[in-house]
Amino acid sequence: MKGVGMMLPRATIGVSRWRRFRASIDWPLIITILILCGIGLLNLYSATRGVRHQAKFEAQMQWMVVGTIGFIVMTVIDYRTLVRLAWVGFTGGVLLIITARLLGSTGDEIHGVTYRWIRVAGVGLQPSEITKVMVILVLARIFSDPQEHNYTPRLLLMRLAILMIPIILIAKQPDLGTAVLVTLMVLTVGFIAMPNVWPMVYLTTAGLLAIPILWESMHEYQKNRVLAFVDCGWAPSKMCWHTQQSVFAVGSGKIWGKGYTGGTQNQFNFVPEHWTDFPYSVWAEEWGFVGSVGLLAVFAFLLIWILNIALSARDRMGAVICVGVAAMTFWHVLVNVAMVLGVAPVVGVTLPFISYGGSSLVTFFVAMGLVANVSLRKHGY
Amino acid sequence: MMIRGDSGYGPALPELNRRLRWVALGILIGFGFLIGRLWQLQVMRGDRYYARTMSNVVKERYLPSVRGKILDKNGVPLADNRPAFNIYATPRLLTPEVKAELERMLGLSEDEIRKIDERLAVGKKRDPRSPILVLEDQGRDRAALVEQARARLPGVEVHHEPYRYYPQGDLAAHLIGYMTQMTAEEADRLTAQGYDPSDLVGRYGLESAWENYLRGKRGVEHYAVDARGQRLDHETVAGLIQGERIIDPVPGANLILTLDVELQRIAEKAVSRVAAAAVVVVEVKTGRVRAIVSKPSFDPNVMTGHLTHAEYTLLMQDPRKPFIDKALRATYPPGSIFKFVTTLAALEDGQAAEDESMFCPGYYELSGTRFRCHGYHEKVDLLKAIKHSCDVYFWNLAQRIGLDRIADVARAYGLGAPTSLGLNGDAGGRIPTKAWYEQRGRYKVGYATNASIGQGDVEVTVMQMAMAYAALANGGKLFVPQVVERVESFEGRTIVSYQPKVAKTVKVPPDLVDVWNRGMWKVNNEPGGTAYEHGYSQVVTVAGKTGTAEVRKRYKDADHKDLEKWNPNASHAWFAGFAPADDPELAIVVLVEHGGSGGTVAWPIAERILAGYFTKLETGSTKNVPPPLIPKKGGKR
Repeated sequence: MKGVGMMLPRATIGVSRWRRFRASIDWPLIITILILCGIGLLNLYSATRGVRHQAKFEAQMQWMVVGTIGFIVMTVIDYRTLVRLAWVGFTGGVLLIITARLLGSTGDEIHGVTYRWIRVAGVGLQPSEITKVMVILVLARIFSDPQEHNYTPRLLLMRLAILMIPIILIAKQPDLGTAVLVTLMVLTVGFIAMPNVWPMVYLTTAGLLAIPILWESMHEYQKNRVLAFVDCGWAPSKMCWHTQQSVFAVGSGKIWGKGYTGGTQNQFNFVPEHWTDFPYSVWAEEWGFVGSVGLLAVFAFLLIWILNIALSARDRMGAVICVGVAAMTFWHVLVNVAMVLGVAPVVGVTLPFISYGGSSLVTFFVAMGLVANVSLRKHGY
Repeated sequence: MMIRGDSGYGPALPELNRRLRWVALGILIGFGFLIGRLWQLQVMRGDRYYARTMSNVVKERYLPSVRGKILDKNGVPLADNRPAFNIYATPRLLTPEVKAELERMLGLSEDEIRKIDERLAVGKKRDPRSPILVLEDQGRDRAALVEQARARLPGVEVHHEPYRYYPQGDLAAHLIGYMTQMTAEEADRLTAQGYDPSDLVGRYGLESAWENYLRGKRGVEHYAVDARGQRLDHETVAGLIQGERIIDPVPGANLILTLDVELQRIAEKAVSRVAAAAVVVVEVKTGRVRAIVSKPSFDPNVMTGHLTHAEYTLLMQDPRKPFIDKALRATYPPGSIFKFVTTLAALEDGQAAEDESMFCPGYYELSGTRFRCHGYHEKVDLLKAIKHSCDVYFWNLAQRIGLDRIADVARAYGLGAPTSLGLNGDAGGRIPTKAWYEQRGRYKVGYATNASIGQGDVEVTVMQMAMAYAALANGGKLFVPQVVERVESFEGRTIVSYQPKVAKTVKVPPDLVDVWNRGMWKVNNEPGGTAYEHGYSQVVTVAGKTGTAEVRKRYKDADHKDLEKWNPNASHAWFAGFAPADDPELAIVVLVEHGGSGGTVAWPIAERILAGYFTKLETGSTKNVPPPLIPKKGGKR
């Protein structure tokens, strides 16, 4: 990839910085994000067509503007600077989670009473979302050392212990979905970026053995969700209803779908809160198997492209950032879609760029900004 | 830790290059898994889920058909329909909060809440997603309250539906009957026949027996709802509903009865002073029932849906058994009105003659048993015996002809067998024969003695007697009683018209019947006649026979003191006859259960009914109008 097709060697004389910057912009990445945002808005419009929810469409567009600003900021500042500040950001994220805890609870229909949100000027923010980006930066910092012998078990355990802090705090919000998701992200990055993979294997095995202990510390409603997933007879009917209606919605789309805004499950609210955690069921119902696979293909392309950037990154740090963002995207898509398809418990994990909600949207814009950052600086000018 | 930027060539993260195969495999497995599941849901099971989501949205509601009316011969409605507001709830959507809200809003009573719970439980088992009737026939105000609060009451609907009502109240209630909700096993059976489990079904009388004509055919409305159970307007869902959106219901057929509401009212008024009674008035030339009374009665309006548990218990505990049709279902010993059987049997066999006289010493002795006559009649001939109802005379005849001859003639007149009216049980009763007694033990001659005066084991229904007396009056035609004259469609087109139906012709020669009929004339029209002594009708000449049927003393007197005018040890009072005597038009049978003597109790009732009828008739005709109120010559003694 060294300059092939790129007319910009490192020290082209007479070409301004701006033009070089512009030519280095990763258009495939940006276009993929735009496609996803477009699909997201299209889908949200259908999902919120009822009178009560029209404000959500407007809000989502505003959040996209905010996200774009985040993207640009994250692209412009050199990622090495950002990684240098990783622990600061990480600490900030943890403090925000603690703040959310102190500010008190919010309750809603699907999640029950939780401590997830911080309200700033009437806008609800979920600090756990943006903390994911901080975790990626920290991982980039941890794994930027290429020397295998520097990854001593002691050092590794200490770092991981620190990473466990936000995970435990998030789990205690309670938001098991996000906690599990961050765990999966850390493990994935570890498996890919550790020079020696065996410590990760031991660690994962130990974690799996600890599951019974974790089960005991879970909240009743979290247990219910998992049990509801295993067997409908276990849980309050509402949760099963949720998954069941979602499965009906997806299945009823058949091959070609019911047509845009024609999904009865979605339009008549049989799938509750379908704009946040279940937009994929709306999409699958209205666009059928063809549309559903098409959307997955876009995500697959995004993943491949991010990994491609990782491969061509200038340094280890940038590559790990890309791997982290790819892991985050991958697990978000996998968990969310599996949940919509009734093969995973119902947890609050969003579908990148498609789900309604500012925190998630901005987080992904910021994460993609980091990838664009790495892509922009791959030639190290 | 040092931040190192390795600006050199070669992969930035060699581990990634090394493990790329695994990464690719991971992504492939993840996405492959999702796509596989999508294939399973959308391609393999798509049609099933599609149908499922459609049933989520598109609902069916039965449009109840308007039930056919029941009208008297002049078109006066006895059973009709009025608009009512019914409240439906969908069990799946009726959360405890919504239910609490509904209870609060309407101020429901304990009873109503229990009823709602019961019905919801039934509905939940059947189909929790389709609405079920929880409160029927609510007032306009309650309907309006629910209608206004629809947004707060998901799954609750109000429908404007026809509701059965009986404008004449308890008039002819046993004949008309009433409707109730179906029982669980009926629901299983009838839903297959196109009923909705919340439908009412005819439970008694004509409502039950003519159900298939009356019910009509229900319609169907397809409509769409959202997840909260709120109806969506038709434009939104136009494409979702396939086929007809509304299939109109077909109203049921109207029954036009042979009954005459005015005569019925006169008859019911006539029995108003007694505790329990039955009256049947039939046209002698057709067998058409003009009035049929069973007392005590019930209000079918109350029975149809509004009956509380307490009211029901009270009705069930009434020793007079209000739910047994005393004209059709209950059987009674007929007493002296049965004597025509003995008379005709003896005349036919040549064992009796009009001019044969016997001496009544007030008793009759048979193989050591002394049967007491109710009077001391001295020398009586046949007609006098009828007139005074002298038992001794008939006991003698019975001894000559035997029990089985009595049974033959009784059977010939349709006694002891159902009348084929096919309503309210239509009982057979019993005409004992020698064989019957032998089967159950030993036959004694005394049984014939008892049977000859309609006692012992003879049991008949009031309707049987009415048809037999009509046959006496019309020259021997025993009709099948008829209550429905014709069936009309809701547009007024006649569907079926029923002609009088002769069950059989009695072969007793007319001149012999005439002997009995002349005896009956004396009962009503000669001083000393058992009826004449208690009232004489100036409106119409009546020929009749009184009867006082003794009952077994089964109860201690104290047992039923709480009920006025009800003494279960007292005899049944009967009157049977026809009028006018010379050209019979109506046959009438009156039974006052445990009423006492036939002459003093039953005949005045019959007299009032006949007088009422013939006064009305004459008023309507060109004949001179007699005064409406007839002073009774004899009066009650």
